[in-house]
Amino acid sequence: MRAFAAGFRLQLRIIRSDPDYFMPLVPVPLFAVAFLAIIEHAGRRDLAEYALMAPVLIALWALSLSASGEIVQGDRWSGTLEPGVASPSSFPAVVLGRVFAVTSVALFAFVEVWIVGRLLFGIPIEIHHPTAFVLTVLASSAAMAGTATIMAALFVLARSARTFQNSLSYPFYVLGGVLVPVSLLPDWLEPLSAGVFLSWSAGLLRDTLQPDAIRDVPLRLGVILGLGVLGFAAGQLLLHRILRRVRTSGELAAA
Amino acid sequence: MPDAVEVEDVTRVFEPRKKKDERVVALDEVSLTIPEGEIHGLLGPNGAGKTTLVKILSTVLLPTSGRARVCGHDVVEETKAVRPLIGIVFGGERGLYWRLTGRQNLEYWGALYRLPPAAVRERTRTLLERVGLADRADQRVEQYSRGMKQRLHLARGLIGDAKVLFLDEPTTGMDPIAGREFRTLIGELKGEGRTILLATHDMVEAETVCDRVTLIDRGKIIATESPRSLGHVISRFQRVDVEGAPEPVLGRIAALEGVSAVTRTEDGGARIEVSEEGATAEVLRRLVDAGVTSVRTSLPSLEEVYVQLIGERGLEV
Repeated sequence: MRAFAAGFRLQLRIIRSDPDYFMPLVPVPLFAVAFLAIIEHAGRRDLAEYALMAPVLIALWALSLSASGEIVQGDRWSGTLEPGVASPSSFPAVVLGRVFAVTSVALFAFVEVWIVGRLLFGIPIEIHHPTAFVLTVLASSAAMAGTATIMAALFVLARSARTFQNSLSYPFYVLGGVLVPVSLLPDWLEPLSAGVFLSWSAGLLRDTLQPDAIRDVPLRLGVILGLGVLGFAAGQLLLHRILRRVRTSGELAAA
Repeated sequence: MPDAVEVEDVTRVFEPRKKKDERVVALDEVSLTIPEGEIHGLLGPNGAGKTTLVKILSTVLLPTSGRARVCGHDVVEETKAVRPLIGIVFGGERGLYWRLTGRQNLEYWGALYRLPPAAVRERTRTLLERVGLADRADQRVEQYSRGMKQRLHLARGLIGDAKVLFLDEPTTGMDPIAGREFRTLIGELKGEGRTILLATHDMVEAETVCDRVTLIDRGKIIATESPRSLGHVISRFQRVDVEGAPEPVLGRIAALEGVSAVTRTEDGGARIEVSEEGATAEVLRRLVDAGVTSVRTSLPSLEEVYVQLIGERGLEV
């Protein structure tokens, strides 16, 4: 836990010192304007929660994946990876803490879409189920951090990781039902979508904005967390193997 | 009680990553033992294998074969036991978070060494004072000079209260005064009972602070001795430096059995080198009988030993 906290605090300090980390938050208001304009034009205000939550989830995914990919590789280039690995703390726990910090920053996107919705379209984000909303945000952040550790590990190995990372965005926005509900996608995509935590997060988040009672909240939260834990386990295993490999090959430090 | 560092027949080979690259044997069956509390120098030219050995002992690089232990724990199989015991200072400017302040850097590393928050803050404060960075503690590292970064590296190596310290070129970039303060600090650390492996190019540094030094070249250990007695490796006997000795006296001394050479020095004096036991006493007697009183006996300096054994290869590695 101490390693996680140390990583979390370190990353927050790094983010505060480097405005580049906030770049994925820049297009969020633009996405929100575009999506809200479409539903306004179509006369479908009932879909406002889709237009408002989509930019948030896109920012969460984009920021977490891009920044977490840089974490291990950045340490490698700056020469901090070797002392980090040689310290008594669990390195994957430090990485998780750092990724979680990045994910937390992505939550500023909620504030951005709230402002756009309220000021430009007169559509406020009304949270009808605040407890479920907060729990979903926390579970989604944890799941995002867990999933992003895979990217942190992959970046050490593959020079093409950035291309891979970029190509991951839109397929996951589709599979995650970020803007278009999964139920509207071809049937054969639904099983794939069920394996993506983003689809569960998107569905539950939108439901918390509706006045109707929400079904199966604990189960759906459990699935989000479970998929996040699976992602973290895979990321940790990958990181462990990659660290072993670069210790063997002598590539822990970049020249 | 186990030795602080035990290295047994460690070999490290870097296999080529591309066809045109060559296979590099960075360490070739290296064996070395460092008892607890010793300051041990690792001397050698670029590419000798010093950093490779330090990295293996620091658990960040695996040996190709052989075994290495720190305080009795295997550096490959027992990394969890080794890591809390060691502190690492790699040379150069890398290894710090440049956008953070010196204090923030140390607080992070302190947390990784599992110190409680209050202890991290206190230890950070103490170390920043100890390395002379207290006044610049809250400045970003990117604004530090090279020497200041090096001092912060040192503080980072000490944050975990390590029993064994691995210092790889720790005075790179330090000015002479900071270098002298560093040597004082090393003395203090020895007084605290820590074991230090110091990889360096600096002969004065090695001669001043090390209990023993190991000369390493092309991955092989050439010799391990105390800096003073290492002179015996190339010359078992003392040399005699004289001033004002008449030429005829030097000529008679040169003819003595056990005197291998008599050479004139640039300052007008002479150096007499002996190659047999007992010859020094006879040389001194002859000089005193001739009224020559400005006489000094010495062993070869560490630098002379280094040049003699490693060879003057210039920039070749």
